[in-house]
Amino acid sequence: MFQLTKIADLVQIAPAQFEKHSRVAIEDNINAKYSNRVIQKIGLCICMYDLLWSSEGLIGHGTGLVNVNVEFRLIVFRPFKGETILGRISSATPEGMNIRTDFFEEIFVSYKELPESCEFNHNEQLWNWVVDDDRMYYDKNEPVRLSVIDEVWHDQVPESTAEDAVEQAKKISPYSIQGTMMKEGLGVCIWWDDAEE
Amino acid sequence: MKILEAKSALLSNHEVFTFLQNQEREYQEQKRRGPGNLETLRRELLQYLKSPENPLSQDPPAYGEESIAKLLERLRPYDIQKGEMIMIMNLRPVNVPMLNAVLEDMEERFTAEEQEDICNGIQEVLGSFPPKAQEGDGDAMQTTEGGS
Repeated sequence: MFQLTKIADLVQIAPAQFEKHSRVAIEDNINAKYSNRVIQKIGLCICMYDLLWSSEGLIGHGTGLVNVNVEFRLIVFRPFKGETILGRISSATPEGMNIRTDFFEEIFVSYKELPESCEFNHNEQLWNWVVDDDRMYYDKNEPVRLSVIDEVWHDQVPESTAEDAVEQAKKISPYSIQGTMMKEGLGVCIWWDDAEE
Repeated sequence: MKILEAKSALLSNHEVFTFLQNQEREYQEQKRRGPGNLETLRRELLQYLKSPENPLSQDPPAYGEESIAKLLERLRPYDIQKGEMIMIMNLRPVNVPMLNAVLEDMEERFTAEEQEDICNGIQEVLGSFPPKAQEGDGDAMQTTEGGS
């Protein structure tokens, strides 16, 4: 689920932060910039893992900001294709199920990726898996395992600087995951966890 | 910003969990607060890693840093990919259907006995959840705690 990504960047420390130790000021700046943000084709950034190198600080002309060149490693959430992960069902539609984790919500399992004998229960708005006349429920909030089959990236660059274009661009999630449950062991956790051989 | 190396290493959930817990403790000791976006994400991520179906939710911990080497040693006879090994660490599959969810083409690659032995090995090293209390069939199901 997680990987380390090595990045070079310029950190600017404002005079108000001069009382902090340089290391702390650099870490706070990096985390403020990256934490909980998506870098396209990299993943969801968690936080700085370690600082590998930093230059001398140079005071910018006219601004008083201290400029430091840094190299560091970042913890990044980026489950690989084929990876099985845990999540919870957040909602269901005839098209499939939306799955979320506590920190990431953009996971979708299409109806095509559910086991064959699944049907959508319109009354209760959830999916059922029918096995030998037994009906099993993909209940809302139920913990599930799913396997990642694809990822979708969306660079949120607006078409123009107009306010509605900016709003429009933000509506599509920058990073979402497509999953499957079409394999034994996937789907609602409790279906499998107590299986004693 | 310049990406120097997109993927310099893979981390297991356990490693991320330990890192974030240490960070949380250090910040508290130094009476320091990280940026708001970090504090929120750290709280949510720790909550995810500690959710009941996650092996890391067990207290005391069922396995630690040293378990990775032990697990590799125990499963050495089997040809298991690196990514699959990480999933085993993260999800701890202790029965065959769960193992099937993390190993690609399991049926072709391993015999039924081998599958069974892999599950046993995982349980020996990483432990397992205690059997659910309400269910009546508490018949001598001893869980092997990992790590010793």
